[in-house]
Amino acid sequence: MMKRVLRRMAGWSGFLAAIFAGVLLYATVAVPHFATAFNLSQAAAGFSEKAILLLPMALLIIAREIDLSVASILALASVILGILIRANVPLPAAILVVLFAGAMAGALNGLLVTRFNLPSLVVTLGTMALFRGIGYILLGTGSVNELPDALTDFGINMVGATAIPWTMVPFLLLAPVFVMILQWTAWGRKIYAIGGNPSVALYSGVRVRRLRFWLFVTSGLMCALAGIVFTARLSNARADNALGFELDVITMVLLGGISVFGGRGNLIGVFWALALVAAIRNILGLSQVGGDGQGVAIGLLLVLSLLLSNSVQNLLDKVRTRRLVKTMALRRSDTTDLRGARGN
Amino acid sequence: MSGFASNFTSQPNDGTDAEVHEIIAGLRSVTKSFGGTLAVDDVSFDLRAGEVLALLGENGAGKSTCVKLLAGVYQPDQGHVFLEGRPLDLRSPVAAHHHGIAVMHQHPGLFDDLSIAENMFITHVRRDNWGLLDHSGMSREARNLLEAVGLLVDPDQPLSRLRTSERQLVEIAKALAVDARVLIMDEPTAALSRREVDRLFKVVDGLRERQVAMMFVSHRMEEIYRIADRVAVLRDGKLVAVTPVSEMPHDRAVQLMVGRPLSDIYPALHAKFGDMVLRVQGLTRSGVFENISFTLKRGEILGFAGLVGSGRTEIARVLFGVDHATSGSIHIGEQQTSFRSPADAMNAGLAYVSEDRIGQSLIMDFGILTNGSLPIIHQATEFGIIRSRRELGLVKPDLERLRLRFRSFEQPVNTLSGGNQQKVVLSKWLATTPRVIIFDEPTQGIDVQTKAEVHAVIADLARQGIGIILISSELPELVSMCHRVLVLREGLISAEFERNEVSQEKIMYAATGIAAGQHGLRFGSESAAESSVSGRVCQQVASCDEPAAAPSRQSIARVFLHHVFTRRELGLLVAIAAVMIPVSAMNPRMVSSSNLVALSMDGALLFIVAVAQMLVLITRNIDLSVASVIGLAAYVSADALRDYPGLNIALALALASAVGLVCGLVNGLVVTFGRVPAIVVTLGTLALYRGLDSLIAHGKQISADQVPAAWLDLTSRSFFGLPGVAILAAGVLLVFAFALRYLSVGRELFAIGSNPDGARLIGIKVQTRVLGAFACAGLLAGFDGALWASRYATIDARVASGFELTVIAAVVVGGVAIRGGSGTIVGVAFGCLTLLVIRNGLTLVRVDPLWLQAVYGLVILIAITIDALVGARRRLVGRKR
Repeated sequence: MMKRVLRRMAGWSGFLAAIFAGVLLYATVAVPHFATAFNLSQAAAGFSEKAILLLPMALLIIAREIDLSVASILALASVILGILIRANVPLPAAILVVLFAGAMAGALNGLLVTRFNLPSLVVTLGTMALFRGIGYILLGTGSVNELPDALTDFGINMVGATAIPWTMVPFLLLAPVFVMILQWTAWGRKIYAIGGNPSVALYSGVRVRRLRFWLFVTSGLMCALAGIVFTARLSNARADNALGFELDVITMVLLGGISVFGGRGNLIGVFWALALVAAIRNILGLSQVGGDGQGVAIGLLLVLSLLLSNSVQNLLDKVRTRRLVKTMALRRSDTTDLRGARGN
Repeated sequence: MSGFASNFTSQPNDGTDAEVHEIIAGLRSVTKSFGGTLAVDDVSFDLRAGEVLALLGENGAGKSTCVKLLAGVYQPDQGHVFLEGRPLDLRSPVAAHHHGIAVMHQHPGLFDDLSIAENMFITHVRRDNWGLLDHSGMSREARNLLEAVGLLVDPDQPLSRLRTSERQLVEIAKALAVDARVLIMDEPTAALSRREVDRLFKVVDGLRERQVAMMFVSHRMEEIYRIADRVAVLRDGKLVAVTPVSEMPHDRAVQLMVGRPLSDIYPALHAKFGDMVLRVQGLTRSGVFENISFTLKRGEILGFAGLVGSGRTEIARVLFGVDHATSGSIHIGEQQTSFRSPADAMNAGLAYVSEDRIGQSLIMDFGILTNGSLPIIHQATEFGIIRSRRELGLVKPDLERLRLRFRSFEQPVNTLSGGNQQKVVLSKWLATTPRVIIFDEPTQGIDVQTKAEVHAVIADLARQGIGIILISSELPELVSMCHRVLVLREGLISAEFERNEVSQEKIMYAATGIAAGQHGLRFGSESAAESSVSGRVCQQVASCDEPAAAPSRQSIARVFLHHVFTRRELGLLVAIAAVMIPVSAMNPRMVSSSNLVALSMDGALLFIVAVAQMLVLITRNIDLSVASVIGLAAYVSADALRDYPGLNIALALALASAVGLVCGLVNGLVVTFGRVPAIVVTLGTLALYRGLDSLIAHGKQISADQVPAAWLDLTSRSFFGLPGVAILAAGVLLVFAFALRYLSVGRELFAIGSNPDGARLIGIKVQTRVLGAFACAGLLAGFDGALWASRYATIDARVASGFELTVIAAVVVGGVAIRGGSGTIVGVAFGCLTLLVIRNGLTLVRVDPLWLQAVYGLVILIAITIDALVGARRRLVGRKR
């Protein structure tokens, strides 16, 4: 069973890993300043928040839901943190309040989706606007730049003597937890079941509504955490932080092999997708291509990779059917011989 | 069973023995297999003019496949369908229609979002002299045809309002609309009451006179004997007999279907029962079933009989916690329980083996082990982590006991045969060690061998002291497998029989409406049953009628409010007024001409791209890239004008539209032929097109003085006081509203979104239409980009960034369903206006524009919540399945 699981993981993840290796190789050789410890750690740091957002997003998409409001909750969390700090609330308390607020935001999403049976795409489209809007109401166009040292140090420093930025640490700690939950616990199994067929899951005793609700709450919580990290890293809290993040996050999850139809995919592929997208953005940035321009590469990557995987799948299916038809024909010719022998 | 045959062997068949009717159509040596299973093996039979051939066979014998072969849904692997002596290659159901073969499908592929009339004529639409769809004509014809089958409903309402038996009648009427030479009826009476069946048979008699060749597939022996001239029996995909009906008494038919004496496939039942394990009292679910009371003892097998739609599965669902009862009580053992979910029911010791294997019992792509362990997966964990050995230990014993044949535990269940799949389902439930098991059609679609095994398992479980409820439509199964049988009819218990007094005929009569006079029957007279021809339980159950239909006791305000919430356009109008009136009071500028002009211009720009989004949404897709297309087209056209000031304005417009068209085509091609989901594709192209825009612009912007004045005037020109661009938008509205209503292409888009598989089945070119929708959307977005560039003068690469949110908001608020199939142009127009009026209103009362985001978000949430509540209420009211 382990072997099977590993084999299935190897397919798409292996493919992404190979591309990543190729890109890395190319960049080390052809792009100046790429292969320096500084650049690599900056590249990683730049994706600290998106990396955190990936984790609950992957789980949600596997469960056939989606959360477009992740960046907005992040921004709102950032705003609340800034306001609390400006009001001289001690940092630990402020962080707790922010995390709670994020969880509440997620709970609103969860409530609308489970209680009213509304499609999560539209609900989170609405809350995407709502949460960011609340952020604007609270802070306007201003920003809070005076942050406690503990926070800014966290945002800038590396861990000890390594090149690992502190901002990556939350992700590095949470990632194995999420992987374990998804692959090795009953919850993870139920998440896959809901994505595979929500009706069957329900009829099999899975508390679908409850699980969905808590997935959204977890997402909100993680977004708030990402908001804290973002604020620390950029040293400011603004309502328009992280605009457009949700697209990158969803892109990475889908690129990582998680099917938009639910029930399929795993986090290993998503991590490779994360590495790949981070590398590409970094390389393009070093080559003087702006954020929007980088979108060309990312967009193409997403579309082409899925096209490719579909074509491969179609090919495999065709081969399989042809083989089946051949065996059927052979089997039938056997029986017709028998019939002929019996003189029917 | 013995007395049964003698009533029906002396059926008078006028001249069938003497004259041979002309052979019209049939199958010749047809073989068809599906992925390794032989469904039909070298089958040949004829359908003759003015004659009804009944096709008998067990579930899984191949009846459905024969129907679908004749209907053009499947193509034979070997052999052929023939018509009037010549072989026919039916590539699709439309081809079958064109040759005059009409089919009443058992599970009709109908389009819920289209009207009843449209559904009936979807494959052969009626047109007027201009070549446009003649909706009023079709409506009239539909009404006549529906009357002929006894369904008195308004043909212009959406199909979704009808319940199962009514839908079956529509399917029948639909087949009659074709004016066929050959009529195939696949279980047409499954959900019909006695009276409706009589109606159908009268129609069949009429067709007999018109020399139509007919085939009738059914389980119901009584009906077969009433209507058929000849009988063909299928078993395991082979034709085992074709004889005149007089030569096929009931016993012989059953024996041929089953292949061995009946006594063999049903195990012996024990007779020792234990304590009461389940007690149900007065269980009611309004509009579905009423006052259901029964008890179940340990070790007892209680059968639930009744027609489809009589409430059996619905009761099971309430027992299992999927649905909730409106009143009544359920006791498990000694305790009264009320389950909020299947998880609760499971914990109390209930198990439900659903009739819908694919939809409710097994996740088809997942493996045997994963499916089998799902209900009790937490038992396989140690400190929260799943241990493979434990998981196997939970599932293996039962699978072995049931003698499942499989390759490995990881094998996806969709590679197993129906019978083996059912074994996996059984083992899954046995692993939960239940006290009560509800089996819902457990042997449906299974081969005879496995059926016997399943029956043996059920008997064995009863012997072990488990209480069993057996829901079945197979009369022999009910008679032979149950200690007691409850018969349901239209939501009420109509009869109860002990083992020693039960018979197939008694069950049938109790299920179809001739009163058996037992307890529970509220209205035993035929007339009361007749008065519910459109069959709602409404007469007894309150609150069934829609408020609008109720007498004038309802206050005008109530009625008005009801309409406001159910008719989107009206609701939005009210919302717009609700904003405009107070704002105008505070700031009269709201209604000043300059403000209204600006509003209409913004509205026009939003509306045009909202129409684009709507086209894509109704086909069950989405286009997230519209805003990026606007930006790209805007920049390209403005750029062209900057570099070539002499360029004709019209050409610049065309250029922008062309850019949009190409973008749309790319989207469409990847979605249709690349088979990548639209949300993913357009997410990618959103970034791609915006990126291209950024690369082209190179960080520079185009300002108003760099483009010809004529370009800027394009959108500011007024005609008769109205801005040109608003008139343009109005034109777009008229054109698309017209196209979506009166052109086939338009209606097909709705059909595709409502039921993509059904659309494909009837020959709609789904790929081309969806591609067209995306291309059109792109074109509109590109065109809008040009208008944008003209209106907002200063153009950079960030034009319309984030605008996709506003567009989707406008469309959703305007009532277009995200899941596809429904929406109106007018609704979209109102949606756009609502959003813009709100923005305008907020600005004019000096609310911080930053608040706008939050307000938009709130508006979207309110709109979809209202939709959900209205939809739920509509389902509750007047819908009995």
